[in-house]
Amino acid sequence: MLSFSLKSLTLGVGLAVAASLGAAPHAFAETEITFYHYQSGGNYDAFRAILDDFEAQNEDIKVKDIFAQSQQITAEVQAALAAGRPVDVATVIGKNIVYFLNNTDAVDLVEASKGDTEWLDGYLPNFLDLGRVGDAVYAIPHAYGTPMLYYNRDIFAEAGLDPETPPATWAEFLAAGKTITEKTGKPGGAHLHASMGDYGTMVMVTNAGATYLNADGTEAEFDSPEGIAALQNWQDMAKNGMMPIATDSEWSGAFMGGQMGMYITSSAGLRAAVDASEGKFALGVANYPLFKDAPRRVNNSGAALMLYSKDAEKQAAAMALLRFISQKEIANRWSRESGYMPVVQDPLSDPAMQEYVTSFPYVKAVIEQMSQTVPTNVWPAKGTLEAQTVIRAMLDELWAAKRPASEIVPEAVAKVNAALAVNR
Amino acid sequence: MSLHQPQKQVVAGAVPAGAVSGQPSARRQRRDLAPWLYLAPTVLLLAVFTYWPLLQTAYLSLVDWNLNPGQSADFVGLNNYGRVAGSTLFQAAFLNTLIYIGASIPLKVLLPIPVAVFLWSVGQKGHFYRAILFLPTLISFVVVGIAFLWILNPIFGYAKVIFAELGLRFPNLLADPDTAIWVIIGISTWKVLGFNVLIYLAGLASINKELIEAMRMDGAGDITIFRRLIWPLLTPTLTFVAISTVIFTMQQVFTPIDLMTEGGPSNSTTNLFYMIYQYSFVTFDVGGGAAGTMMLFGFLMIMAFVQFRVLDRRAHYQQ
Repeated sequence: MLSFSLKSLTLGVGLAVAASLGAAPHAFAETEITFYHYQSGGNYDAFRAILDDFEAQNEDIKVKDIFAQSQQITAEVQAALAAGRPVDVATVIGKNIVYFLNNTDAVDLVEASKGDTEWLDGYLPNFLDLGRVGDAVYAIPHAYGTPMLYYNRDIFAEAGLDPETPPATWAEFLAAGKTITEKTGKPGGAHLHASMGDYGTMVMVTNAGATYLNADGTEAEFDSPEGIAALQNWQDMAKNGMMPIATDSEWSGAFMGGQMGMYITSSAGLRAAVDASEGKFALGVANYPLFKDAPRRVNNSGAALMLYSKDAEKQAAAMALLRFISQKEIANRWSRESGYMPVVQDPLSDPAMQEYVTSFPYVKAVIEQMSQTVPTNVWPAKGTLEAQTVIRAMLDELWAAKRPASEIVPEAVAKVNAALAVNR
Repeated sequence: MSLHQPQKQVVAGAVPAGAVSGQPSARRQRRDLAPWLYLAPTVLLLAVFTYWPLLQTAYLSLVDWNLNPGQSADFVGLNNYGRVAGSTLFQAAFLNTLIYIGASIPLKVLLPIPVAVFLWSVGQKGHFYRAILFLPTLISFVVVGIAFLWILNPIFGYAKVIFAELGLRFPNLLADPDTAIWVIIGISTWKVLGFNVLIYLAGLASINKELIEAMRMDGAGDITIFRRLIWPLLTPTLTFVAISTVIFTMQQVFTPIDLMTEGGPSNSTTNLFYMIYQYSFVTFDVGGGAAGTMMLFGFLMIMAFVQFRVLDRRAHYQQ
């Protein structure tokens, strides 16, 4: 009797547990997606708040964000993909997008949209070009920047320059820098080089109308007259004494500390510049200087988002997130709170954005440059390090000013092309 | 052997069970297995974290593959090696590696010896100086790199300001290809000197001071005592310091290179270690990075072998 009762009890409890286990997935069905990013500090708070809002609207989806430093994000994502760890949405640095397209199994966002691609139309078409391959789109803009001219109005006044009319052309930039150095003894200005000189060189020659790399990224073409003239400007900055030879962080530190007249760097640093200048000096922000009469063409910096979910459920959840992020009010909110460039078309049609521009006028120049931004050039996998090393050495030689750009640049381009030959 | 010795003493005189039947006893079998069991954790860790990655790296250096599970790895033979070895970056990195190693011998291996002998000779009074010398070892290389960047900053650095006060112009050391590498070497020497002094002090502590007293009574001077007694007895320590310094020099200079120069100007500060990092994690050229790693492995093997041949034969392990 007792034995029978115990058996019944055990069976009953077992069945109850089994039933509850069987029922659990239905009661608490939840899809978790993984989002690799490099946002930290205040930017992370803004980023996470958007993800939280998404989760609030989609209770069955959880977004797990995984942080890596911006310099490490590409390696972290690559390692996760290679190890088979879950990656659903990944932040990929612009210049690495082609590498990721060639070496990873990224998902075509057009195909994943299953016919409903309207959400992609909200983005500025030139911003989507970076991840476009034919009709496919593999990356959407997320944390973009554009190079701006930051200047110290107080130093301008001290040097007898008009703080209301910052340099609009390269000739004016060089003249203003020289005047500042001569009149105040402070460095006149500098231009970020970033990523072994790659980004700085790219922006300078592209803005002058030259082609930095061909479309495949397998051949450098900036030894044209425009390219050489643009890089001669960089040599002249070192030669006329306005630009001490230093690293980006040293230039940035000097400008933020009120010790340098002008600094050309990404709009992503706008918030930091405003904070650093507070109580120290009056900050000015202007558009990237024009090269003679060439239209302004500046390459974007920053990162885009790529989709990697293979599992249908996770892919649907990740797509829901990307659609959410792409909405004009969310994309603009992200831009306002992070300081990154707006990425959707006509951002000023959003009243919140209009209010933002009124209260934070520095961003006006950034918005003006949106339509003049072209995709950052991308490198192939092989020979890139050798090629970029050549470009960095070219800058060192330009700044040493022992030979003119007309001799240094063609030699460097030939070496870059020799290094990239393996890809052709 | 020493592990077996006590066991033999314990069973002396007894007749092993297996001896009667001519079969090894269970106890003997367990005894034979014991050393392997003791070694197993280390062997396992070495196999998983050292030898397997080494074999995998050797494999990656021979294929064209960027770790993508969905892609096939194409065998390319020695192409990756040829591509890396033929680049100007590798040539600069290799030359700089020799400079870093060449400079590390007098600065990091030999310079600490007189410092350690001095501290040893002053006894208790040397503790304060020992602490001062060891302090840089405790500071992170990142902190050291940033501190020196501030000191050497060409725009508002402390060195520039102090020189300007004296009416002098401080040279932009990190922007000059002829001086930048010496800044890196100087910083890494400053950082490592105290550690190597400490190792030499440990070596010196094992020297019987009565031998010195005996030599003094025989009329030997300081130089004779150093040459005839201290130097020979310090050679085992010197061998260790020399080999570890040469091997670790490349890792030690990695952080200052990355923080302060990124290998520039004009590749004047890069080394093989930094070049491999750039191949693998800056441009994600896995084949190039793996080929560079294998070449560095071979180079370090040769260096270690040469040092063992040269130094170990001259080392005196007995007083």
